[in-house]
This record gives sequence, structure tokens and C-alpha cells, in this order.
Amino acid sequence: MTGPRRWLVRGPVLVYLALLVGLPVGYLFAKAFGSGFQAFWAEVTKPGAIAALKLSAEVAAIAVPVNTIVGVGAALLLARRDFPGKRFLDLSFDVPVAVSPIIIGVSLVLAYSRIGWFGSWLAEQGISILFSPTGIVLATMAVSLPYVLRSVLPVLVEVGREQEQAARTLGAGSLRIFWQVTLPSIRWGVLYGVTLTIARTLGEFGAVLIVSGNISGYTQTLPIYIFDSWDQNFDFLGSFAGAVVLASISILVLVALSLLRSKEKRLHVDLA
Amino acid sequence: MSISLEHLTKRYGEHPVVDDVSAEIPSGSLTAILGPSGSGKSTLLKLIGGLEVPDLGRVIIEGDDVTDVDPRFRDIGFCFQHYAPFRHMTVAKNVAFGLKVRKRPKAEIRARVEELLVLVRLQDKAGRYPAQLSGGERQRMALARALAIEPRVLLLDEPFGALDAQVRSELRTWVKELHEEIHVTTILVTHDQDEAMEVADQLLIMHEGRIEQAGEPTDLYDQPVNSFVHGFLGPTTEFGGVAVRPHDLELFGPGPGGETGVVTGITALGFEVQVTVGFADAQSTWVQMSRNEFNSLGIAIGSEISVRPRV
Repeated sequence: MTGPRRWLVRGPVLVYLALLVGLPVGYLFAKAFGSGFQAFWAEVTKPGAIAALKLSAEVAAIAVPVNTIVGVGAALLLARRDFPGKRFLDLSFDVPVAVSPIIIGVSLVLAYSRIGWFGSWLAEQGISILFSPTGIVLATMAVSLPYVLRSVLPVLVEVGREQEQAARTLGAGSLRIFWQVTLPSIRWGVLYGVTLTIARTLGEFGAVLIVSGNISGYTQTLPIYIFDSWDQNFDFLGSFAGAVVLASISILVLVALSLLRSKEKRLHVDLA
Repeated sequence: MSISLEHLTKRYGEHPVVDDVSAEIPSGSLTAILGPSGSGKSTLLKLIGGLEVPDLGRVIIEGDDVTDVDPRFRDIGFCFQHYAPFRHMTVAKNVAFGLKVRKRPKAEIRARVEELLVLVRLQDKAGRYPAQLSGGERQRMALARALAIEPRVLLLDEPFGALDAQVRSELRTWVKELHEEIHVTTILVTHDQDEAMEVADQLLIMHEGRIEQAGEPTDLYDQPVNSFVHGFLGPTTEFGGVAVRPHDLELFGPGPGGETGVVTGITALGFEVQVTVGFADAQSTWVQMSRNEFNSLGIAIGSEISVRPRV
């Protein structure tokens, strides 16, 4: 398509994107820096904000590796083995993102509170899951469960088994096959899944709010800090500043992935 | 290394894909498993290689029962139809893989990889990635990778299936020469009877999961045990109610001592001419002859002519 006609397609898409993403996020950045960079910096370095950023980072540092290992393992199971209950396992992974995060939060509270199934036993052992960072990690892992699996599974199916079988006939054991043959051929799927998991992990709000108890400086993740500043403390600048930090981290992760990808493409022409 | 297959059976669900197959593959031979698609020949090869597990039967390599041995420990070189190159490794790293697994010294690996790359004529491509190779080059790389571990048996699944005609015939000749040079017992799977007849010194003809006939190519061509083998191994026509090779018939006369009919078709294929003869009371037949022979008959469509077996 050339000339004015291409704008018939491009125009609406650009307007749509601008209305949904560009304008609101742009306005947010403008507002956060509206009172100058020093005011912004003062907000970002407040103890509550620092604590929230630290907790979000810690939660991600646990949830992302765990879900990556679980996701790759489940993808290998689903792509390479047959067993009873396979379809059920496949479906189960999608439940946490198919239902509203609030439901995940409520069911975790039900299961782990003192009246719940494991809660009373855990309380006797002196372990508290709810209203603590442990609960936040659990809730976050639940809502970010399927991203690695869903990014890796189609790649595994696409690549097929023959490289792995060839490695086997050459004498390689399962571990060597995984590290030297399987993982290199699915690495982009894994990285893409990890990116989505990081974004979801940092951004999760609903499920975390329910299980965290929203204790300032202790169980406030960055999204909850933003919400709290906005809704409870009427600290709008603090809320905008936190939001800008959160958005910037996610955008950086996405940009890093796409840079890695274009570098890879230059190195190996048509790997596919 | 000789291979014995004893009553091998593999079912998918109820349907047997390989059905009670027994065969002896002589040491140092180049054996072709030949059959139409869906005949179970690739599955049979995977059973020998250990990539599929049989429901019944044994695989014995040089007296060792390897039926329950993982492919890791079978010492076989397996080449896949689409070569299964390690796409993220260079040609040299692909070939070195089996040697690294065996923890050979670095210097030895380097020397052996170089030697193999010369053998498969890829010495200039050592640093390339599989995506940068042609189909024939990928095939040769896969062969070098399989040969690196000095396998007891080399198994090739449709080795020339994915190549264009020119490369195909070059590679056929090359594989035959390679086999004469290194003499490793080799089994290849193919659906192409010309390829099998040209390359192999032993044939196993498979049909619907069973072996129809086994033996040397010329014996099978001349003495097929049934109409399937007859039809599969070469051109076939019917004369006097039986299947015959069209080059085993001749035209004469018309006169007594044969069936007399009318020429209904003439196809000239370079030096070869195929003449179809229709009969009033029998199935029509076709006869294959040289151009000189055809010219000396002086026939055209509609000519009356007699057919008899060549003596």
C-alpha cells in the first residue's frame, strides 16, 4: 500500500495506541517530573518507597527463578512425555491467569489463614504465611505461573525431538542433552517467558494486596505503595514517582530483550 | 558387525507397524530396507537404533542382545531424514559432539574432526553453522558426526530423500564409495527402488509391516516371490495371465507362436521405446525395447503384431 491509503490502516491503529498507552503513560511521566527532578528524587528515596522497591525486587528474585524452572520442567513434560492427566496438568497452569487475581488472593487466605486447611498446622509450627513477605511470594508465583511454560512449549514442539535423539545415539546423557542441545534451542522462548514473568511479578497488585495485609514498610510492594500513596495518603506525587519507577523497570526489561534478539539475529542468519 | 532381528513387533494402539520381522544382516554389508511409505521401514530402523522400543522380539548386534540397551550405549551411528543438525553449533562442534561426550583428549578430538571433515569434503566449512550449508552438505555433516564415534553399525533414514535429483545421485555414489572404504555395517531406509538397487548389496523388501523378501538385489529382481515384490522392484506388465518384466517380452510377425494383437500406443524415451499392444480377449500388455529394435519392426499405431516371451 502506498500514499494516503496506508494511513487508512495506520491511522486508527496509532490513534488507538495513543489513547490507550501513549497519552496516559506520557502524562504520568510529565506529572511525576512536573515539580522538578529534585522533588521526584525526594519522593523516590523516601524510606517507604525504598522499602517497597526492595521488597518487590526480593519477591521477583524468588518468584522468577522458581517459575522459570517449574515452567521449563513442565514444558519438557508436556512436550516430550505421555502420561495420564497430561491435559489436566496443561490446563491447570492457565487457571491462575484465567481467573481474576483477587480470587487467587482470597483462596490463598482461605487455605493459609488459621481457619484454613494448612493454616492452623503451620501456625503451630510458628510459620505465618499471610500478612508476611512469604504470602506475597506465594501469591506472586501463582499469578505468574504459566508465562515461561506458554513461551517455551510451542518452541519445544517446533524444534522436535530429533536433535535430542541424535545426541543420545552419540552417547550423551539426559543432563548433557538438556544443557547442550535442548536449552540452546529453546533459549529465546525461555528469555521471552522470563521477561513476561518479571513484568507480571513486579506489577501484580490484586492477589498481593489480599494476602499482604498492606503493612507499610513490611509488606508493601511497589504497586501497593503506589496505591497506598494515592488512595490513603493523598500523596499524589509519591504515587506518580513510584509508578514511573515501576513502568521504567518493565520498559527496560522489554527493551533489553529486544536488543538481545536483534543481536542474535545478526549473529546467526535464519536459524529457523 | 552382523545384526539379527528376531520376531520384532511394534504396535501403535492395536495397529502393528512392524509385524513379526526376522532378518539377518551380514557383517560389513550395505543393506537397504525398501518399501512404500507407511510400510514400517523407518520404525524398523528406529527399533534397531533403540529410538523405539519393540513390544516383542529381540535385536542382536554381533551376538550381543541390545534390545534393552539405551541408544546411548549401543554404539550406533544414526542419521535422521532431516539430518537433525545441532543448529546452534558449528560444523566442527557438531562432528566433535560424540567425542566430547566420550571425554577424548582435546588434541585427539581436533585431529579426528579434521580427518572426518576431509573424508566428507567439508574441510572448508568447519566454522559454518548448519543454516549456512546446502542440503547435501548438511547430510555429509550428519554422516561425519555419526561416524566420529566409530559406530558398530551405521543407520541412515531416507538419506537422500530431501535432496534434489542431481545432488541425490552424486551422494549415492559417494556413500557407496565411502562404504567400500570404511566397511561399517550400514542399513539405509528408502522408498526408491532405483536407489536401493544401485547402492545396496542386500535388500529387505517391506510391505505393511512385514518383510516380503530378503536377498541380493539381482536375485530379488529376477526371482521375486510374489506380485508385490515383482511390481515394486521394477517395471511390470501382464502377459498370458502372469506378471512379467516388459523387457522380457518381444514383438514379431504377426505370426504363430505368440499372442497377436494391435499396437495401441508408442512412447519413445530416448533410446528406449515402450509399445502397448491390445488384445481382443485379454488384458493389454506393454513391451520395452531399444530404438534400433523398434525401427527394424517398422510398426505404427494400428499395426497388427504378435507378442512372445523373449528367450
